[in-house]
Amino acid sequence: MVRNKGKGLRLAVITAVAGLTLSACGGGVDDAASTDAGAGEACGSYSIAMHAWVGYTASAQVVTEVAKAAGCTIEQVTLEEAGVTYDAMEAGSIDLVIEDWGGGRWKEWADRGAVVEVGDNGNVGLIGMYVPAWMAEEYPDITDSANLNKYADLFVTDESKGKGAWYEGPPGYTTIGEKMVSANKLNYTIISTGSEQALIDVFTKAAADKTPALGYFYEPQNFLAKVALARVNFPKNDWTDAGEASGLTDYPSSPLMKLASKKLMDANDPFTKIVKNFKWTNADQNAVAADIESGTDPAAAAQKWIDANKDAVASWTK
Amino acid sequence: MSNLALGTSRKREIKRSWLLGGVFVIWIGLAKLFNGKFTLEIAVPQNTPFTSFVGEVAKSIRGNRTDGAAFKYFFNPIRQIIDGFVTFIREIISIPTQGATIPLIGWLGVLALIGFTVFAVSKLKTAIMAMALTFACGALGLWKDSMDTLAMTIAAVLLSLAIGIPVGIWAGRSDFALKLVTPILDLAQILPTLVYLAPLALFFLIGPASATIATMVYSIPIAIRLTAFGIRGVAKSPVEASVSMGSTGAQTLTKVQLPMAKKTIVLGINQTVMAALSFVVIAALIGAPGLGKPVIEALIIRDVGEGFVAGFAVVFLAIMLDRSTTAAVVKQNTFVPPSPAELKRRKIGLIIAGISTIASIILSRQFAWAAYFPKNINFAEQIGHGADTTVVWITETFSFFTDGLIKFVTVGILNPLESVLSGAPWFLTILAISAISAIIGGFRSALITVFLLGAIVASGLWFDTMITFAQTIVATLLTMLVGVALGIWVGRSAKADRVLRPILDAGQVLPAFVYLIPMLGFFGPARFTAIATGIVYSIPVVVKIVGQGIRDVPVTMIEAATSAGSTTRQLITKVQLPAAKNSLLLATNQGLIFVLAVVVIGGFVGAGGLGYLVILGSSKPELQGKGLVAGFSILLLGVMIDRIAQYAVRRNSAPRQ
Repeated sequence: MVRNKGKGLRLAVITAVAGLTLSACGGGVDDAASTDAGAGEACGSYSIAMHAWVGYTASAQVVTEVAKAAGCTIEQVTLEEAGVTYDAMEAGSIDLVIEDWGGGRWKEWADRGAVVEVGDNGNVGLIGMYVPAWMAEEYPDITDSANLNKYADLFVTDESKGKGAWYEGPPGYTTIGEKMVSANKLNYTIISTGSEQALIDVFTKAAADKTPALGYFYEPQNFLAKVALARVNFPKNDWTDAGEASGLTDYPSSPLMKLASKKLMDANDPFTKIVKNFKWTNADQNAVAADIESGTDPAAAAQKWIDANKDAVASWTK
Repeated sequence: MSNLALGTSRKREIKRSWLLGGVFVIWIGLAKLFNGKFTLEIAVPQNTPFTSFVGEVAKSIRGNRTDGAAFKYFFNPIRQIIDGFVTFIREIISIPTQGATIPLIGWLGVLALIGFTVFAVSKLKTAIMAMALTFACGALGLWKDSMDTLAMTIAAVLLSLAIGIPVGIWAGRSDFALKLVTPILDLAQILPTLVYLAPLALFFLIGPASATIATMVYSIPIAIRLTAFGIRGVAKSPVEASVSMGSTGAQTLTKVQLPMAKKTIVLGINQTVMAALSFVVIAALIGAPGLGKPVIEALIIRDVGEGFVAGFAVVFLAIMLDRSTTAAVVKQNTFVPPSPAELKRRKIGLIIAGISTIASIILSRQFAWAAYFPKNINFAEQIGHGADTTVVWITETFSFFTDGLIKFVTVGILNPLESVLSGAPWFLTILAISAISAIIGGFRSALITVFLLGAIVASGLWFDTMITFAQTIVATLLTMLVGVALGIWVGRSAKADRVLRPILDAGQVLPAFVYLIPMLGFFGPARFTAIATGIVYSIPVVVKIVGQGIRDVPVTMIEAATSAGSTTRQLITKVQLPAAKNSLLLATNQGLIFVLAVVVIGGFVGAGGLGYLVILGSSKPELQGKGLVAGFSILLLGVMIDRIAQYAVRRNSAPRQ
């Protein structure tokens, strides 16, 4: 008992002393840091959603670096797309999606005021179904979706239940493969790849070994510059919202959108400005993405582009 | 046990295996005959009336989140309180406080504080080890993420204990309370983690609060169970003595029961901490900050090195927290009172440690070198590269073996099993599974099986459930094959136990996502990737249970068999394995539950089935209802597997006349 009391007292003293030290000698490091960034307008702290493809990383990283230089505090949060992310924006834990392919999946959240559509980011996205280029040479009519069933046997694997294997994009991406297969009565089994890298693996292997593969892919993506793929054309697109698509027709070519939280739009601080003004081309994104893919740290790759494109960056922060 | 009884039980067993064989033959035959009919298969984007209904409900819940009364007065306040609590702890060690650029305490201060705390509750050696492991997390270039994880774990553990210990005390003192909480605890223990993320996110949105609550769902049952166990384990006589001396209930509790149960309760804290930490990675899926982020990122870009580096940091933190809390348990256990000299030395030690801790905290707030973890101490690249090279080497060296193995498992076992389970008419499958359940678990087991399978049919996701079930069975079979062999080895040889135990311990704390990454590289987007991950995840628990079972076989039985001239092989197959049958059943049960929890995560990498639907539902609003129902179906499947195994264990341990 006596021992316990002694222990309690000791802890109390220590806590008190610790409390005093913390309050008395407040952050010397902070003083130095705040004079550092104190030049411009005050900027808040925000979270950017990080989605899982390298192009997105490129855009988000450039915005992050520009914002940090403007004195903003940025946290990057890795999250699945769409529903999950919009929920996070509603909860206040995410402030920005720099590139959304959703074709209006966010409408329900926008109606509630949880998500604000900021406009397009200059990139134009095009999703499609692809085969390695050697297949288009060997079977020229394979690029017409009407002939897919004719070649289904080529694509059979142990995973595809006797039908052709259709490598679908990750669950979070804008995907309508299941609808395409059933609406067009295609003799294919959907196999979800789960990640951009897995798709790249599939096509890399198919191109190198000259094995057949049919899979989901998209531009802007730097990989298309490295390995030649041929697009399988479905009937001309007639939808924008993937949730409403019939599956009979192809993916649309669509401007990629910036989405922000209400908090960010209301703040009207330097970061709001950067987000509103940020705009670049597919080639810009591919340049940064290529550096990231070849092993450069994303922050360094972004900084390299920023240094080489000072005018563009200046126009965002104005 | 007389010879006669042994004879009849043996006969019954033989009869049972014939029956089982018969069911299998008829089942497979009929399944072949009616293949592809009444499979209840529905296309992935298609909703059933039920899943549409659930989707509508989910949508209206989403719409109500700002103004609905339930949210305004219940869910949102809870979220805000937990969010505030988590932020408070994070601001101390991991994120900048309001208007500052560093957390309240920089890395040097945190390190000192950890050392001091561990020293205060255990001994110097453990404290130094704890500091070294924490420092190692920083040297992996993951200081901030590690601190976030530590903060999240501390927050979740404190909240779990705040709820778990009182409820555990209640359940320890009242039989009624125990009856009330036991089924809930049982359910929580078999609930695959992926299942309740989406419903939680629906009510508490994405972010640290949801992640903390999800972690608590996982760790509270453990705190309750061990606390109740500890209170109940206190010998009757001191309690009776206390009551007879006129103590009130509260006095008996605080003066007798709690102090005497202290050791078990501290063990409960240890287990709660480990449970919370094991949730780190999966919680990142609903916005938890910390080490889960780099692991998920690495999975997405299939960066084996990055995944392992983050995985190692998780393991370091796990060892640090495990050893520190275990050392505290050991200290509760020492009955030899320290000598005055020792006490004095310890006192001086604590004072010195305390002063240096305060000094470190002050330094870490004044100077950048003590505030930010030094950038030049970073071995992430070397370790990541090492992991990468090792994995590549394993892939290339064993590809002749792995290629054949995948082919054999996929074409030889998985595809046929899948076509029997999911390709046959649903009622035939239900009939067959129920018959098997009846043979191994008895009538009540069959009844529950029919009920649960019926519920799965009603959910509309029968076909996908059977796909997941087939993968679970195959992975469990392979797990048992390897796990039982290793378990026998560990059980028979103390040396084997010494060699394998650290590997098994590490395997149990290394997040499954970490080795999912190289598996994806090895096997590509395929069901085998999910199966292989499930096997790696569940082998440690199977080996441990089987090893314990073999070790618990009475020495007299083994001596008798040896003196009768049994060979080692006979000894294992005729004596040790049959005597450890209950452990084998228990291991199978745990294996199945562990495998199921991970196989559904395989939905991320092309394994399809229910896991894929859960993941799809979380990002495609039009399929949210289907995703929620899929989560529920996983739960039904888990309960069914668990019930059958439990009934089988019970039947085996209490043989009737």
